[in-house]
Amino acid sequence: MVTIDLAQTPVKTANELIRESGDAGEDVEVLNPDARHHIGVGLTAPVDVFVRCSAGYFCAGLTDRANFEIDNNAGWGLGDNMYSGSVVVKGNAGAIAGVAIRGAEIVIHGNMGSRAGQVMKAGTLCCAGNASFMAGYMMYGGRIIILGNSGERVGEDMTGGEIFVAGRVQDLGSDAMFTDITSEEVDEIAEFLDLYEIPLKGNLRKIVNAGKNLRYSTEEKQMRSIPFFTYSGDSEYWNPKVQEDIHIKSQIGRYRIRGYGAARPLPHLADLAFRADLSHAGGDADIVSKVQMRTEIGGINGATPLVLSMPVMIAPMSYGAISRSTKQAVAMASAMSDIAENTGEGGMSDAQRDAAKQLIFQCLGGRLGWNIHDMKRANGLEIYISQGAKPGLGGQLMAKKVTQELADIRGIPAGIDLRSPSRHPDILGADDLVIKIEELREATGYRLPISVKLGAGRVRDDIKIAVKDGFDFVELDGMQGATGAGSSEVIDHVGIPTLAAIMEAEEALAEIGRRQDIELVLMGGLRDGVDAVKALCLGADAAAFGTSVLIAGGCIACMQCHVGTCVTGIATQDPEHEKRYQASVEAQNIHRFLETVRWQIATITHGLGYADTKQLGRDDLVALTPDAAAVTGLPYEPGYRDQSAAQSVQPLVMV
Amino acid sequence: MCGIAGIMFKNESSNLNTGRALVDMLDGCQHRGPDSTGFALYGPATEGQLRLRFFVGEVAEDAARSIARIADALAAHDAKIVSDETVGSNYRVKVEFSGDLQRFAYAIEHAAKVMSIGSSLEIVKDIGTAHEVDERYDVQTFEGSHGIGHVRLATESDVKPEASHPFWATGFADVAIVHNGQITNYWKMRRRLERRGFEFTTDNDSELVAVYLADKLSQGITLKEALRTSIDDLDGTFSFLVSTRNEIGYAKDRLAAKPMIMYETDDLIAVASEEVSLNRLFPGQALDTKEPPPGTYRTWSR
Repeated sequence: MVTIDLAQTPVKTANELIRESGDAGEDVEVLNPDARHHIGVGLTAPVDVFVRCSAGYFCAGLTDRANFEIDNNAGWGLGDNMYSGSVVVKGNAGAIAGVAIRGAEIVIHGNMGSRAGQVMKAGTLCCAGNASFMAGYMMYGGRIIILGNSGERVGEDMTGGEIFVAGRVQDLGSDAMFTDITSEEVDEIAEFLDLYEIPLKGNLRKIVNAGKNLRYSTEEKQMRSIPFFTYSGDSEYWNPKVQEDIHIKSQIGRYRIRGYGAARPLPHLADLAFRADLSHAGGDADIVSKVQMRTEIGGINGATPLVLSMPVMIAPMSYGAISRSTKQAVAMASAMSDIAENTGEGGMSDAQRDAAKQLIFQCLGGRLGWNIHDMKRANGLEIYISQGAKPGLGGQLMAKKVTQELADIRGIPAGIDLRSPSRHPDILGADDLVIKIEELREATGYRLPISVKLGAGRVRDDIKIAVKDGFDFVELDGMQGATGAGSSEVIDHVGIPTLAAIMEAEEALAEIGRRQDIELVLMGGLRDGVDAVKALCLGADAAAFGTSVLIAGGCIACMQCHVGTCVTGIATQDPEHEKRYQASVEAQNIHRFLETVRWQIATITHGLGYADTKQLGRDDLVALTPDAAAVTGLPYEPGYRDQSAAQSVQPLVMV
Repeated sequence: MCGIAGIMFKNESSNLNTGRALVDMLDGCQHRGPDSTGFALYGPATEGQLRLRFFVGEVAEDAARSIARIADALAAHDAKIVSDETVGSNYRVKVEFSGDLQRFAYAIEHAAKVMSIGSSLEIVKDIGTAHEVDERYDVQTFEGSHGIGHVRLATESDVKPEASHPFWATGFADVAIVHNGQITNYWKMRRRLERRGFEFTTDNDSELVAVYLADKLSQGITLKEALRTSIDDLDGTFSFLVSTRNEIGYAKDRLAAKPMIMYETDDLIAVASEEVSLNRLFPGQALDTKEPPPGTYRTWSR
């Protein structure tokens, strides 16, 4: 047994020691924990850890196979995302005990706080005392046993799993109901309690999902689709887009779901032009080697940075919204062009991990597919707060795409209309976020950059919080950013345009004098290298592409991504449809597109008189419209319009 | 976006070092708010006297000008200076005063940046960590029956000493609050109070909580009752602590979105955002702590 005294040893060092001891197969005793946070986080060895008093937030979080015993109380987020293993708490546990567990056993002798077992997928959370409100909130599976009383709204919005309560149930949550308990279930619980030496008092009652809310009650009738370029037409009032919208709503009586991003005219990067005359640019076949484009992202606080061969990344897109083959192709292309790929929501596949050279692993509120093992093999971790297409709302994945395989990875029931939580269980403010970031850093030994994905909403405040909370970089996503499924009202009418987002971000960081303390990756409807250079001029450290990468791989912009029967095999989980997508072929197409992006960045940077993309600045731009000038503060120079047309330089040399 | 802490020693014999206790507790949860730190401390009251604390800045000339303006304002309202000193960027005055406090406070507020006025209360707050503020203002040596404190991560308003917590309930002696959360019906409530003649010195939602409670107290409503109604009247996420000359209390919103934990013995009550702060007072000990249930409030007095 290894003994660590937290009165002497900082938690960071202690966790390194705990992991080392675990690897050596030695048990650990932690003295004087004094309710410090993150004790034992990231441990993946089958050893026992004895915490000799109270533990703080996220004790035993992001672990697999270890057993923890805590002699007194535990703070918020006990056993966060545990895969297997156990935690026994002799005292009370704070809010969200057992959050997002995937198979562990968590036993609390005292009381537990609110939202216990939020988004849990499997395993058992047992409380011998009373539970506060919303136990089992949004749980997807597993078992909660409450031997005392349970507070308000038990099982609120639960999808799967079971909740057993021996004491008083104050009331049931939305879509939860009582059901009969079988004698086998009672025996299983008795056996579990025996194992942990807890007496069973009272009669257990069982609560499950009532099944009224798992699918939209009406299906959206499939009509002939209107492709994006028609859909976004800003013609007259009663154009085909408006008519179709009304027709469909008159059938289904609810809001519509669609794919893609904002399809109405908004000030965008296309409304800016370069100040210099670029008519001479583009003639040099070797231009790419003459401009320094290599960009490091995420290393400013000491983590190992992502090293990009050009200031470009792939935007996060989930395996779920798009097919496994597509994720694989994008990952392959990202490696060929030596930039970074991003998992998006819903976990990391081996194929994607193997194909991508650098891969960011995204952590969302539902913790769907999130786990310590994939964290460790990622090159960066990203906390998703929201996305530009639907800031403030969770993802949607219609039942057709929630196949058994996908459900298994995510730890949810198959065949539901999955509406992911819009909030993280453990991030209710900037103060909680600090503790969450620290947990991810502790779990991965401070090795990986930690970023935040922000949908542009209250950019000014959000970006200040991001820098104060110590993120390494921000992926800022404007309103033109796309989605695999969102309500069309939200996609078109909620959020802040990409152009305004970057301006607000830059201003906010300047206001607090902290621009150098964070890096900024801009996304949200960026189409090509020209847009990327404009983003860099406005202050971004890199630009990210999502939609244009899909289009390069064959997407036809029909906006039916949510339906699940994508004819190109991109936005589908149906093997028959997916067959149409050949990952290795599309990877080459995407790679070729990315190389034109590289060429454009080099050509324009060089044409503006620079040898390094880091030299690009605001002074290189003018605004072509009054709107864009108002948003950016750039000089309004409509005279550049003709020149701008000439500036849409096409690559002369293709890869 | 913050961490909060409060302590009350329940009787004369158990009085410990309040300043020291609060510095330790806030240091324990400094990760919740690195921008600024503040303390509301209650010392012995002297009949007929008020303690005033002003922010006058570090620059000597500006401070001198502010102090001169303060002296004029005090004289104009028949407040006679008993003692005064400059500490850090603060100017600390004791005056003899027996008029209408609210009118006096608003008038003084127009002349200088008032941090607190009270017969017992003094608010110490500035940019920096608990230890930095302590070093500047010697909080550690402050003895007294009770106090509350705050570490702040500024989100929507600026990082300035005057936007830091605790907030004094402008116009009401000896009432201070510290708050973790966000009051979403801020403007609605503020306008309601402004229509009734109350003045606000910042746009910070926490000041609203202070004025809201003080208004109730001045109508003769008990602190306990004021806390009860605050849970219905205030919208948003909040865990806050309030202190008066002889009481401290808490209120917590129904969603329990902001943490709070308390530890009570025969001698003291300590409340904090996180247990780690409570363990700072009792290192190595297993504390029998309680998490206040959602939508609840409570007061303690001595």
